Amino acid sequence: MKNFIALSPSTKKILKVAKMSATLPVNVLITGEAGVGRKLLSSTISPDAQSFKAKELEKLINSNNIDLEQFNTLIVYDIHKVTNKQEFINKLKDIKVVATSFDIVDELNEYFAVKIEIPPLDTRVEDLDELTNIYIKEATKIYSLSILKKDIKRDLSGNGITLKQSIYKSILLKSISKKEMMDTLNNFFLRELKDGKNYKALLEVFEIPLLKASRKIFKSQLQMANNLKINRITLRKKLHKYFGE
Amino acid sequence: MQDTNLYEMLIENDLNPFILFDSNGKLNDFNKEAEFLFNFVNYKELFELALNNASKSYGINKQFMPLSYGKFNFYAILVGYINDDEIALRLFKEVILEDTHKVIAKDIELVNIYSLIELSKSTIFIQSDINIQEIYDISIPEIKININNFLIALNDSFTLFKDECALVLKVYIKTGEYEVIDNIKYKILCIEFTSNNAINIPKNLLKSAKNTNIETFTKGNSLVLEFTMIM
Repeated sequence: MKNFIALSPSTKKILKVAKMSATLPVNVLITGEAGVGRKLLSSTISPDAQSFKAKELEKLINSNNIDLEQFNTLIVYDIHKVTNKQEFINKLKDIKVVATSFDIVDELNEYFAVKIEIPPLDTRVEDLDELTNIYIKEATKIYSLSILKKDIKRDLSGNGITLKQSIYKSILLKSISKKEMMDTLNNFFLRELKDGKNYKALLEVFEIPLLKASRKIFKSQLQMANNLKINRITLRKKLHKYFGE
Repeated sequence: MQDTNLYEMLIENDLNPFILFDSNGKLNDFNKEAEFLFNFVNYKELFELALNNASKSYGINKQFMPLSYGKFNFYAILVGYINDDEIALRLFKEVILEDTHKVIAKDIELVNIYSLIELSKSTIFIQSDINIQEIYDISIPEIKININNFLIALNDSFTLFKDECALVLKVYIKTGEYEVIDNIKYKILCIEFTSNNAINIPKNLLKSAKNTNIETFTKGNSLVLEFTMIM
């Protein structure tokens, strides 16, 4: 099982609170955006507890398909999605509950004595750095490639989830061969042509990356035109069309 | 005060505080309730109160006004003087209509009070760099409380100081006072939070404290939580 990364000052405090609440019979609510580590932290508090998605647990309870007496502790994901929160909580009153939620749920305020809010990843510099290293290590092992951290475009819009995706994507794209690229494009064109796209509309898929790469390598339009062996006026028209230059 | 006659006996055992000042504001006499009251307010402040509300000439003046000193709330005062040497003040306590008979709460568990304070403090101040000075009586043993409700009351208390840079936290057993529940005498435990600013107890804290039989009141810039030590 992966561990909750806690190298930033705020997450160090969060981990301390989590460990303290693990030893006490108190209900814990973990809030924060998707991908900040809510599930990992809940497992840190109660590593042996069974976990349920709140909505599924609610269905099981309402249909009498679960014997709650067998549980001392439960992990409940996304408790904010439960329809009848008071009734749901009353059923769980003799169980220690570690729940996750997108935000604080006012109706459940008195039920949870410990409320932990995990901040977004972009505010946790040390954690972000460590997670980036972990994902790069994982991905380079899978694709047998090495990549420099600076060559990776990190996407933090979905915290850890998009960070991982963006690192894997960066490394995967670096490893792609000409044939794989053409196969990928082939699949893409098949889809797009079925949707009614024509030659002109699809040409940008080829031209935009090519022009971006050329701009990075060749500093002037003159050099670009010479090396790409196209007319300067044609090049200028394309740059204007795609980049407004 | 010696129980020399019926009037004095009645005053001494009155449920309302009674204080007799000399013309300089020094204490000439006071009853048991006044003695408790002095834990929460300086007698000089009460002397000022008496002077400000005395009748223009010798006599008795009744004044209805809400007053709050620590856990004492009053709705009226009586100020009287018949010469220039002495002035008397009597404060009338607010009547509490709810049932004040204390019972031991259900779902109580034996716990180290300091582990709960540490947990609550760490939770509330995750994003804060507040400087907390802790003055703890480490001889306090584990006590029985409803952990969940007690933590919520602690959280509500610490939340009041979220924007402060410094806090003094004091935990001690109250001397000379006991709580009697079902004929058993229990000691009283106090948690005192002191900051640089005055505190108003919010409704959510009053509610969460009541849920776990905690008495809350303010004393200067301090918030005090008092509760029975059940072991």
